[in-house]
Amino acid sequence: MHFAYPPRKSSNPPPFRPRTSALPTIRSRRLKTIALAFLAFLTLVWLFQRGGSRRHAPPAYHKPSGNPPAVIVTVFNEGKYGKGYLDMVKENRLKYAEKHGYGTFFVKASDYDLRGAPISWASLPAVRHAMAMFPDASYIWYLDQNSFIMNPNLKIEEHVMKPSRLEELMIKDHPVVPPDSIIKTFSHLKGHDVDFVLTQDKDGLSSSSFVVKNGEWAKFFIETWFDPIYRSYNFQKAEQHALEHIVQWHPTILAKLALVPQRILNSYSKEKGGQEYKEGDLVVRLYACGEAGEDTCETESQRFAQWKAAFQNS
Amino acid sequence: MSLSRSPSPVPGGGWASPGLTNNLSPSGRSSPTKAYAGGSNGTPVMWERQKNMGGPAYQSFSTQNQGFFSRHMRQISSSLPRFRPENTHGAEREKIGESRWSGLNMPRLGRIRSLPGRMSRRTKMLIAFGLLFLLGYIIFYSTPLVYYYRRTAWLGGGQKFVIILAANVGGGVMEWKGAREWAIERDSIRNKKKYVAKWGYDLEIVDMSTKKRYAHEWRESWEKVDFIRSTLRKYPKAEWVWWLDLNTFIMEPSKSLQDHIFDHLEDVTYRNINEYNPLNISHPPADSYLDELSKSPIGDGNPNSIHLMLSQDCSGFNLGSFFMRRGTWTDHLLDVWWDPVAYEQKHMEWEHKEQDALEQLYIAQPWIRKSTAFLPQRMINSFPTGACSEKGTDTRIHYDQKDRDFLVNMAGCEWGRDCWGEMYNFRELSYHLNRSLWERFKEDLLCWVWFKLTGKKVKF
Repeated sequence: MHFAYPPRKSSNPPPFRPRTSALPTIRSRRLKTIALAFLAFLTLVWLFQRGGSRRHAPPAYHKPSGNPPAVIVTVFNEGKYGKGYLDMVKENRLKYAEKHGYGTFFVKASDYDLRGAPISWASLPAVRHAMAMFPDASYIWYLDQNSFIMNPNLKIEEHVMKPSRLEELMIKDHPVVPPDSIIKTFSHLKGHDVDFVLTQDKDGLSSSSFVVKNGEWAKFFIETWFDPIYRSYNFQKAEQHALEHIVQWHPTILAKLALVPQRILNSYSKEKGGQEYKEGDLVVRLYACGEAGEDTCETESQRFAQWKAAFQNS
Repeated sequence: MSLSRSPSPVPGGGWASPGLTNNLSPSGRSSPTKAYAGGSNGTPVMWERQKNMGGPAYQSFSTQNQGFFSRHMRQISSSLPRFRPENTHGAEREKIGESRWSGLNMPRLGRIRSLPGRMSRRTKMLIAFGLLFLLGYIIFYSTPLVYYYRRTAWLGGGQKFVIILAANVGGGVMEWKGAREWAIERDSIRNKKKYVAKWGYDLEIVDMSTKKRYAHEWRESWEKVDFIRSTLRKYPKAEWVWWLDLNTFIMEPSKSLQDHIFDHLEDVTYRNINEYNPLNISHPPADSYLDELSKSPIGDGNPNSIHLMLSQDCSGFNLGSFFMRRGTWTDHLLDVWWDPVAYEQKHMEWEHKEQDALEQLYIAQPWIRKSTAFLPQRMINSFPTGACSEKGTDTRIHYDQKDRDFLVNMAGCEWGRDCWGEMYNFRELSYHLNRSLWERFKEDLLCWVWFKLTGKKVKF
């Protein structure tokens, strides 16, 4: 232009250059501040993390996989019974276990040091031993030597231990030790919470046939029952009375206990002691056979010899 | 001069480049009109700066406020010593500007007063952050608020720990509870309360007075078991419970339990009792009917399976200070710990009641060993030199000031020793060892200096 003076500009010039883009431009100084603040926040978070990030997980004990599903434990009292009879008992167990894929565990009562206690106590270290030998078995079934498995078609894990079956079979709110114990079985026990199943006979709890679910509770229970202090107390009926004692005095044991009708697991040969055996029951126990004389068990067992035929036909 | 007036603040209107003079035509005429030679072509005059529209928007010419010396030269030069002839005095000094009331010195106050105004926003923000940090430190580290934030699970985890303090032992029923007993109780409780307030734990003070339900012939001394059970129920968030007898004193309250033990459980505990076995228990259990895990001397070696931590003194297990963790194992132990058949046979023989019962359970039942761990005694249960002293001072048992043991348990002080004297001495020792910096400065320096100067001992 050819003017003398530069073109007139306003006296109030705009203070800033017009925007070049829609987004705000972050000056590098502000970026530094933002980065510092973020780092400070991270530092604070890290500082406070030292407290609770370590979760103490509960220990994972070995869970039995179910192979074999059950183990039948039998303790032989070789001092008192003839070999033929004991072999017959062994055959009975083996045939039943073979049919259902169970394990068997045979021991002699003399294998264990009972510190002078009555020989019936040997059932407990035998069960504990079976738990050690079969860590993957789901159930351990202890069956008295003088009992026979009569019905090969019944499976332990269905006939007795299935949670729904237990819930229908369980005797609820019943004195744990008949006739008049004030400690009664639980009324609201869930089937899968039951770790110990047994029966009562006319006199009290019958420890001749019981099932425990393999696991940490079972180890605690068997080891508590087998405490030498109970043996030294000299209960009248040895481990049976000890069992009645601990079941009434220790609720952590009562909480896992279920009573089932006697004929499910433990029918007696005579009506005198408890419910009598009927056709189709799983087990018959030759009740008090050894007390009358040494060979009364053998003669008594002839009455129930039909198990051989039953096993052959199935 | 290539521009007729000084540059305006509008960008592009200033002394953008020295090349403005280049606009003069080669004929060398210097009249102002020639400066706009480029403009006569019809295109608008484009100063060089305007070509870079995308660059920074501020001026590139140098202002007067850049550089440290240009800003502060006046201040610095005025504070340097000035030359003055020898015989200046009074009014002449006033003229040079040296006296207090001269113009150069006065603005110091005004300078200070105008300091906030002259600070940039960045400086102000930094100072604000600094003050906030200091305030946060004060609030969160040295006031009672420390209790609340150290309790939370993600900040400190303090709510997982409950201290059970057995107070009012006997309750004055069998023996008189006089001033000394009250004083011991007060000191012990105060010590635990301070510890708990500092680290965010819970404190449960239980009454161990002689109750009828624990009378002789009936589970006497098994109250511990019932109290642990009820405490686990009362504090549902608690994972660990720490039982403390009354005659104990936490000597180092600046150590939290997490730092001392729980953050490195596997390093401080040992499961194999053969490391220190005053009872000569045969370990591992050798019964043939047991499984591999029960026969292993260290159990499964997993610190998460530890449910009971205790220490042993010269004569066996010591239950004056032990930890129990919530779990099914603990439920089982608390259930079978007392049994009437066991009690009937053994309570006359068991001098320490539930302690001996636990020893019997440990020996007879392998499932107990699987979750029991031992701590070195001086870690949670140091004894004063009067206890367990048949063989003199034992470095495994007795309190050692140099090592700054965590807790001292004045066990058995009721029999033959002075409980109050021991408690008082340990309390004073703990205060002495844990003095703050200011106290240390006063006592170690000022008092010492005063003593050296005047020969008198004084306490500030």
